[in-house]
Amino acid sequence: MGSIMSKYHRKQITKGLAIVVISILPFLLSCTASPTQKKGQGNVDPAMLVSLVKEKNAAVIDTMSYLECMDHRIPGSQCIALEELDKKLPVALPDKKQPIIFYCESDKCPRAGLSHDKAKLLGYKNIYVLDGGLSAWKRAGHEVETIQRVKRAPVVSIKSTKLQTLLKENKNLFILDVRSEDAFKANHIDGAKNIPFYMLHKRLHEVPKKVPVIVVDENGKRSFLACCYLINNGVIDVTRLFGGMESMGHQERSKG
Amino acid sequence: MAKGNWTSAIFLLLLFLFFSGDAFADSLKIHCTDCHYRTKFIEGYKKSVHGSIGCTGCHTSFESLDNHVILKEKPKLISCGTCHNDIEKQYRNSFHYLYEDFRCQDCHYEIHSLKPEKENFKIAVTKNCTKCHTNDEYALSGHGAAVIQGNKDSATCSDCHGLHDTKAYHTSGELYLLEAREFYNKTCKACHADKEMMERNNISLNAVKYYEETYHGKVQDLGYPTSVAGCADCHTTHNILPRSNPASSIHPKNLTKNCGKCHHGIHARFAEYKAHPDYRDKKRYPLLYASFLLMVVLLLVTFGFFWTHTLLWWRKVYWDKHRMEELGIKLESPFTHKESIQEIKRFSVTDRVMHVLLIVSFFGLVITGFPLKYHSTPWAGAIIRALGGAHNAGFYHRIAAVILIGLFFYTLWRCFRFAFPKGFRKEGWRGFKARIFGPDSLMPNTQDWRQFKAMVKWFFGKGKPPTFGRWTYWEKFDFLSVFWGMVAIGGSGVTLWAPELASHVYPGWVFNIASIIHSEEALLATLFIFTVHFFNTHLIPSKFPMDTIIFTGSYKLEELWRFRTPEYERLVKEGKLDGLKVKHPSITLKIVSSMFGHASLWIGLIFTLILLWTFFFA
Repeated sequence: MGSIMSKYHRKQITKGLAIVVISILPFLLSCTASPTQKKGQGNVDPAMLVSLVKEKNAAVIDTMSYLECMDHRIPGSQCIALEELDKKLPVALPDKKQPIIFYCESDKCPRAGLSHDKAKLLGYKNIYVLDGGLSAWKRAGHEVETIQRVKRAPVVSIKSTKLQTLLKENKNLFILDVRSEDAFKANHIDGAKNIPFYMLHKRLHEVPKKVPVIVVDENGKRSFLACCYLINNGVIDVTRLFGGMESMGHQERSKG
Repeated sequence: MAKGNWTSAIFLLLLFLFFSGDAFADSLKIHCTDCHYRTKFIEGYKKSVHGSIGCTGCHTSFESLDNHVILKEKPKLISCGTCHNDIEKQYRNSFHYLYEDFRCQDCHYEIHSLKPEKENFKIAVTKNCTKCHTNDEYALSGHGAAVIQGNKDSATCSDCHGLHDTKAYHTSGELYLLEAREFYNKTCKACHADKEMMERNNISLNAVKYYEETYHGKVQDLGYPTSVAGCADCHTTHNILPRSNPASSIHPKNLTKNCGKCHHGIHARFAEYKAHPDYRDKKRYPLLYASFLLMVVLLLVTFGFFWTHTLLWWRKVYWDKHRMEELGIKLESPFTHKESIQEIKRFSVTDRVMHVLLIVSFFGLVITGFPLKYHSTPWAGAIIRALGGAHNAGFYHRIAAVILIGLFFYTLWRCFRFAFPKGFRKEGWRGFKARIFGPDSLMPNTQDWRQFKAMVKWFFGKGKPPTFGRWTYWEKFDFLSVFWGMVAIGGSGVTLWAPELASHVYPGWVFNIASIIHSEEALLATLFIFTVHFFNTHLIPSKFPMDTIIFTGSYKLEELWRFRTPEYERLVKEGKLDGLKVKHPSITLKIVSSMFGHASLWIGLIFTLILLWTFFFA
């Protein structure tokens, strides 16, 4: 066989095969190039949260406002709002090695992640964030606990276009921005009053009862409960901004 | 006596106490309504849907009634799911529970006097939802207005958003873009594809079907609704009004703005595009119907002719081959063995490279384009998923199109160079006619007609097989049909690639015609290449399974002489034959040619089978 297949032929075959392999390679590589999403470090799911609490006595912290936390929270959690974390966390958890799990209201809320970063700066070593927040906890079939429920009331919402028309008409409105002080500083509606949600129960007296109030939050997810709280406390005309401040920047959908 | 009386008296007293115990106990017993005496707890509750189960039917979790009476124990939250467990299961995934922590009584406001809404459920739902979701748009919309007027077909809130299983989609559209669009497209279609329902409400019967025949509909049906316009993108979500209403998003006055939400920089006539036309309706869409008819006739005539030609050819060759094998006849040759194996160049390196590029681009176009044409078949979805989605497939389709268009223009340039090798001036025109109708030209001439007639006669055993010059008539057809094909498929393709820009040149309804021509011409080209061209070039018994000359570039002198005698004689006469003599192709070239050729051939044949399966069974 060796004599039949000359050196020249073998070289030619190798060359041929190399060309074939090289030409097919990009296609094979393109098939394998599917990006996989990695979970962020320290992210836990509801089942891991349960076991961390059981086995390592992890502290579960609700990073929403006091009112939201008292309304519904993961059983046994502590209410420490993101804005008050620097002050309250070292008092509540003096042991920096104690595992902490932060969570938010929903999967679109950055508060738990921000709390994680703050706690890290404070020197805490074992910090976790509940993936998907409280809604993931509920989706997993777990119950929530209620300490003091904010009675739900029918709340009317308006879209940003309507709000802009109302603003142009110069009507007597009280625009209540319940976002954090930092977010308010970054941008806000002209003439809006900032009472962060975590302060609302303490500064309720600053909200006029007889003037139409429009509550504005980050993305429309939190204003409902704030509105209910105001209605329960005698504010007569309460409306919320659909989609929150995010909806104020008009976005056009592009093709593709 | 006295003793007897006492005994009787005690006995009677005991008897009385025994029988009247219940009456006493009743008067001592505490009723819930003794404290909870408001009308809704007494009259309201008795008449309510839960009236028969009593207070403790729901308020089960008392540890001590005594403590409750002295306000030391508050009953725990009740669980409606104990009885309504199916609803509870649904509600656990509802937006209202997951994100707003709503409980039953937050929507079923007066839970103690709750009555079933028997009269008009849809109106009741609308009223309840709009307590918070005060959508003026919804109330004004075609659906909402019809619901309020008592139309039982029209959609109320829960028909689209679910009742207890309200999805998180509608307020978190940006988070669940795909799910939301899939869900709502399906929801709209669920009713609008119901012909009976549409008929009794005087709404167009096949809007869904015709939408699914358009580019938008096909892409969303493939599973990529985020890339194209779904129902709500054009008709909006709540303010859905008939076309005749000036406030409607599809009113002619608002259409350009509506299309412009996605298609930026369009001319006003872009809006003349029909979003769900019926190309079979010759009264409403005469041009669309004519285009479809033209393409069908073209397909039928082309395949009617060529498949017959191919079948007759195959029969003749196969039968002749059989007879020769049977009789042991060997073909005679005027050449010595050494002469006969001399390789003669037929295609230049440029020709071969162009053909390889043509194959790559053509297959790229077919593989990325046909899944859209047959979007509802299982193979379509599988191919698009393998390519990484409709967006990627579209991208590859355009890359392949650019290669093909490049080849087309290069071919045009080569044709020009062939016709005018010395330019346009006087000298350039000299011998023009001879070149155009000469033996090297791919322009059909009378010789081709004679050869075709001779060929047909030979198919039926009348006369000898014709011999050919440099190009046969079917090779000329293969070449020239690409010019029509490129104008039709390339022109329509470019239009559909940039409809925004195209709208500055012609109106939107041209896109509808372009879609039909692009799609049907693609079918024509693909089936032609995979059946007629493959057979004529590779699968005919004399060349089966494959002729790799387009990759290797040369064939044997014997083959040239036998099949193209006039060409051989011309080359000898003009003294050009020696210049065309080349070495036998290298083993590397043969391996690569064979692998590439076989891969292409098999992909094409398998694809043809898939198409045939689709026509007859899918």
